[in-house]
Amino acid sequence: MTTLNAPEATAVEGMDALPDFTTDAYKDAYSRINAIVIEGEIEAHDNYMSLGTLIPEHKDELAKLARMEMKHAKGFTSCGRNLGVQADMPFAKNFFGPLHGNFQTALKEGKVVTCLLIQALLIEAFAISAYHIYIPVSDPFARRITEGVVKDEYTHLNYGQEWLKANFEASKEELFQANKANLPLIRSMLEEVASDAAVLHMEKEDLIEDFLIAYQEALDEIGFTSREKARMAAAALAG
Amino acid sequence: MFGLIGHSTSFEAARRKALELGFDHIADGDLDVWCSAPPQLVEHVEITSPAGPTIKGAYIDSCFVPEMLGRFKTARRKVLNAMELAQKKGINITALGGFTSIIFENFNLLQHQTIRSTTLEWERFTTGNTHTAWVIARQVENNAPALGIDLKTAKVAVVGATGDIGSAVCRWLSERTGVGELLLVARRQQPLQDLQTELGGGRILSLEEAMPEADVVVWVASMPKTLEIDPSTLRKPCLMIDGGYPKNLDTKVAGNGIHVLKGGIVEFCRDIGWTMMQLAEMEKPQRQMFACFAEAMLLEFERCHTNFSWGRNNITLEKMDFIGAASVRHGFSTLNISPSLQISVA
Repeated sequence: MTTLNAPEATAVEGMDALPDFTTDAYKDAYSRINAIVIEGEIEAHDNYMSLGTLIPEHKDELAKLARMEMKHAKGFTSCGRNLGVQADMPFAKNFFGPLHGNFQTALKEGKVVTCLLIQALLIEAFAISAYHIYIPVSDPFARRITEGVVKDEYTHLNYGQEWLKANFEASKEELFQANKANLPLIRSMLEEVASDAAVLHMEKEDLIEDFLIAYQEALDEIGFTSREKARMAAAALAG
Repeated sequence: MFGLIGHSTSFEAARRKALELGFDHIADGDLDVWCSAPPQLVEHVEITSPAGPTIKGAYIDSCFVPEMLGRFKTARRKVLNAMELAQKKGINITALGGFTSIIFENFNLLQHQTIRSTTLEWERFTTGNTHTAWVIARQVENNAPALGIDLKTAKVAVVGATGDIGSAVCRWLSERTGVGELLLVARRQQPLQDLQTELGGGRILSLEEAMPEADVVVWVASMPKTLEIDPSTLRKPCLMIDGGYPKNLDTKVAGNGIHVLKGGIVEFCRDIGWTMMQLAEMEKPQRQMFACFAEAMLLEFERCHTNFSWGRNNITLEKMDFIGAASVRHGFSTLNISPSLQISVA
């Protein structure tokens, strides 16, 4: 039905315009976003190496994933360099602090399920959604690199998904608990990064919805029902 | 498998439904929360045609609510994400219901074929407008005589005549029904003149000019909230088919010889075990639905997996014949004015 009293498409398309990559405001915001991305990839490397100690039979596969993450970190470092931006790494370390802490605690307690939820589901879904939203508004150099990275991240999300699917019944309770403890952290991380992301023309609303789509897809694949998925995801929405 | 992409009629209705379905946390959220809520596949259904075949389908709620219309990017994202979900679920043919197809058309979503890592395959989607147009035309043909209106001499106003559905209804009434005179009403003049040329007739009028002359009014434009219609200026009897979205014409003019019928609604011949049509406030939610939704079912019954209704002004009489015949064959009937009313008029 072509009956909507609303402005035509031309008015809408303008909102997808690229930001000016050369302004101080852009570079300032980029110094934190870029650092978060680099730190995220480095921590992902460390986390997959640690997971190899908990799942020794997958040690080699996990080491392969870890190597990919390190390659991504280098790629994103070059994106910052290309724009003449120094990544604010102390900010990023602090940004990941709480989630990093939870992963380390779970690792010490030998909780594979919690570790996988944090790294292979939450962080990967977070990265995939952020990269997808970044790609259309990125500079040409970063765009090429980010497009390559996204493809890899799907295989990482897939690793966690497959392991948890194979061990679904035994993992279910711990997944509920781990979701409850960690998803609100993702929500606050999104809040914290929102104003810098907006400078890069990435909107909070898009980031949250895309993250939830990726996360719910993973939960769906693992075996949760629609209602369980929505209930779990609500922890991110309710804030 | 067929799919239906729908949404609630208001934010309040959406919250109530979410609560009912057990999505409490989302139900409690404010509009901002809903703006970030991903689409949900909320229901699977199975339907058996009186002609034999049984088909499976799914209802996807895009989590869009009309209150989001002012947020273009949000509205656009809701529609595209719901379409992506339908495709990822392997649904062959999905109807874009309610505001979904309107947003798709008006916000030019054809330019946004890539959603994350998914390339949308347009042949998996249909606006359902061909079936809607056929149903509205049939509603005119069935109900005008029941009110004592002779279509051969009647003046039929089509408000929104140049739209996808409106122009198809005009074509049908002009060539198949043969009405007394078509009164063409729309906002823009050039498309109106083009339509008049194509039809080889019809009179172009403003809404104010057309209303007092019309024996039948087909509304396929959404109505401005501020629109006032003075019932005393209308002909009696007058049949009004409310084919716009949302359907609110009855609150403005019904009564005193003015009969308002919900346009583009069909009824299936048996109960469907679904809950989602309660959302659309159908009188018989187990059987009634928007004709555009039914189009996805018909295309699945017919194994016709193509974007049957797509773009603007592509609805031909042949396509209406095809979907109309399928509609009858598979047990759908058009919504009519109540039988008791017909008797009293007779």
